[in-house]
Amino acid sequence: MPSTKSTKPPAKDTKKTKAKGESKKKLPESSPKVAVVPVVEEDENEWEDEENVEDDEQDSDSDSDNGGVDEEGMERLMKALGEDGLNEFDQAMLEDDDEDDSGDEEAEEDVEEDELDDEDVEKLSDESESEEDNEEDEEELVALDDEDVELEPDAVPQQKLEVDNEVALLRIRENIQLDPSIPWTETLVLSYPEKIDVDVNDDLNRELAFYKQALHSANQARQLAASHKFPFTRPSDYFAEMVKSDAHMERIRQRLLNESATIKKSEEKRREREGKKFGKQVQIEKLKEREKNKKDMEERLKGLKRKRKDLLETGGGQDGDDFDVAVEDAMADRPAKRSRPGAPGGKKITRQTRDKKFGFGGQGRRSKQNTKESTDNFDMGSSRKGGKGGKGGPGKGGKGGPKRPGKSRRMAARSK
Amino acid sequence: MASVLKAQKANASKVAKGKRKADEMDVDADEEQPQTGVTKKMKNKQRVLLLSSRGITHRMRHLMSDIESLLPHVKKDSKLDSKSQLHLLPELADLNNCNNTLYFEARRHEDLYLWAAKMPNGPSIKMHVQNVHTMDELKLTGNCLKGSRGLLSFDASFEETEWGKLTKEVFTHIFGVPPTARKAKPFIDHILTFSIVDNKIWFRNFQILEKDPSQPNGPPTTTLVEIGPRFVLTPIRIFEGAFGGATVYSNPGTCRTKPAPLSSLRSFTFAPCTFSPPPIHVIRLTCPPHLTYSTLPPFTHGTEFVSPAAVRSALRREKGAKYGVRKDAEDETARRRERQAKARGEDELAVSKVFA
Repeated sequence: MPSTKSTKPPAKDTKKTKAKGESKKKLPESSPKVAVVPVVEEDENEWEDEENVEDDEQDSDSDSDNGGVDEEGMERLMKALGEDGLNEFDQAMLEDDDEDDSGDEEAEEDVEEDELDDEDVEKLSDESESEEDNEEDEEELVALDDEDVELEPDAVPQQKLEVDNEVALLRIRENIQLDPSIPWTETLVLSYPEKIDVDVNDDLNRELAFYKQALHSANQARQLAASHKFPFTRPSDYFAEMVKSDAHMERIRQRLLNESATIKKSEEKRREREGKKFGKQVQIEKLKEREKNKKDMEERLKGLKRKRKDLLETGGGQDGDDFDVAVEDAMADRPAKRSRPGAPGGKKITRQTRDKKFGFGGQGRRSKQNTKESTDNFDMGSSRKGGKGGKGGPGKGGKGGPKRPGKSRRMAARSK
Repeated sequence: MASVLKAQKANASKVAKGKRKADEMDVDADEEQPQTGVTKKMKNKQRVLLLSSRGITHRMRHLMSDIESLLPHVKKDSKLDSKSQLHLLPELADLNNCNNTLYFEARRHEDLYLWAAKMPNGPSIKMHVQNVHTMDELKLTGNCLKGSRGLLSFDASFEETEWGKLTKEVFTHIFGVPPTARKAKPFIDHILTFSIVDNKIWFRNFQILEKDPSQPNGPPTTTLVEIGPRFVLTPIRIFEGAFGGATVYSNPGTCRTKPAPLSSLRSFTFAPCTFSPPPIHVIRLTCPPHLTYSTLPPFTHGTEFVSPAAVRSALRREKGAKYGVRKDAEDETARRRERQAKARGEDELAVSKVFA
């Protein structure tokens, strides 16, 4: 009678064969390389069975890894041992063990597995895990895998099988689901009725799609909140701590300002550059115009010269004046306006107006000389009025005389 | 389960009053999932344990703190020391009275994985986190109340697949702030959106503005400003239990193969330099997988999850292939030279002969 520990593998195997038989009855075979969609009934027992199967498989894997006894051998051994090979107590113990193990071991195993996965090491249990349902294939794969490891590194490696166990997913979801009768205000979950179908690499459209989704949901939520009498909008006098601190928001604002400033600056610069370009054009145009004017002038002069040539040759004395005027006219570019002084169209201004305008004569030669009157006249106040040349008399600074106004006044007067 | 509870209640009602109370508490304790509680008022009771592994970078840390500040029902715990002992997490969650866990697992200081799990009994979803933008970025200009309950918006793709539905349920528990959360604020001013694009889950967080900031006196129109954080999650696996258990879903694209030893790889990589890599699904059907390994485009935008380690190693291999090509060319030249020397035969006037 072996101890419980030593009999563990065979006992498991008996169980395994049992479980295997069951699952064989229930589970249809599926090909190894397609997504596994297991047919699983809803009851828990079935699942436990499967887990056990899986567990056992892993054990058997480790057996074959150890190079120890293979499955058939074990089976034969068990047959030889017979049913009375184990007493009931032991079997119960083993079963307990099994049950206990199935949870913890699995957890550990999965964890390990992931650890290893990420280190790019393929592990056998990967397969066993993903193919909990079709064991036959599993064995084949394991065999392959063994080959793979030991014999030829170039052999076709295992591929990950995809698992999408919808039945299990559904069951899990039903287990954890929130009660559908709870009001919306408990969860605040919204569904966007549309699928987002955009090119992932097109950032703008993608973000726009997300924005649309959020906007739609927000509006929907507002309506729902109104119907549930649920406070939605924050009143303007409700202040509380925000997710981002004021300092951070200030930084954000500063950045926005900076951004707009740089945009403005660059805009201005661009305008300036454009203005410069334009200014250059203006300059060029001006130069061209000047050139053109010069050419015109020369042409006109040439024309005049040609016109006058015959006259000069014939020798008209007073024609010289005429020529000057004509040249002036040509240069001024408005020959129609100015005409000869003697021309009948000219308006004559009178002598008087001309004197008024331009002045006539002057003070005269002796206007500053003393006269008899001025010599006798000692009246300072009226000296200026009466006598000419009374300036410089001894009454300078006299009381009666008109004072010179102050400088500021003079300046003011001048500026007037 | 409900029938069991009824039976228990019936039992409890038989015994004395004081006893009944204790029994009912027991029922609650047994429940372990308060959301299915039989109390008259249906309550959504959630608490999330948030923690990370060791070796996270500052960006990951900031992402975590963002999530913590957004979700008031989160309990943050210290880093988990070992990555191999995830079975500690249910215990930790239990100690903290949490029925959900968000566990960030950093690998090699560059890859980030996120486990989202329901606590005592699972399921747990393992995802790869990419494209992380935290709230610290100045481009994200929105802001919201700390601890205000965010709306959750899921797009229609979540309803299409079973794993999508499950993910939606789990995210509802984890990211939805229950009204009873201690630090929750009574108003709503932000919305979390989850959308499946390209088989990845994209997360965004927007502030809801009632008025257009550009025209403050105009009619009230809803506008959104992004608050952050942003990230993209690629689901890898869904396990039945909490941080363990059978895999009930694995991303179909997890096309990983055993890396062939370098010798065989070198012999292979000389040839494939000429052909452009076909799309992955073609490769999977036609070529032997170890060939695909080296020709795998480094960043696939397909539907599949390629682990970042595989991507890196593919890149390295590609680099190594160049080295291989060069070495091979060198060998070839040496051989040719030898051949030529042989063909010429011995030179009569070789230095060694003349000056022998």
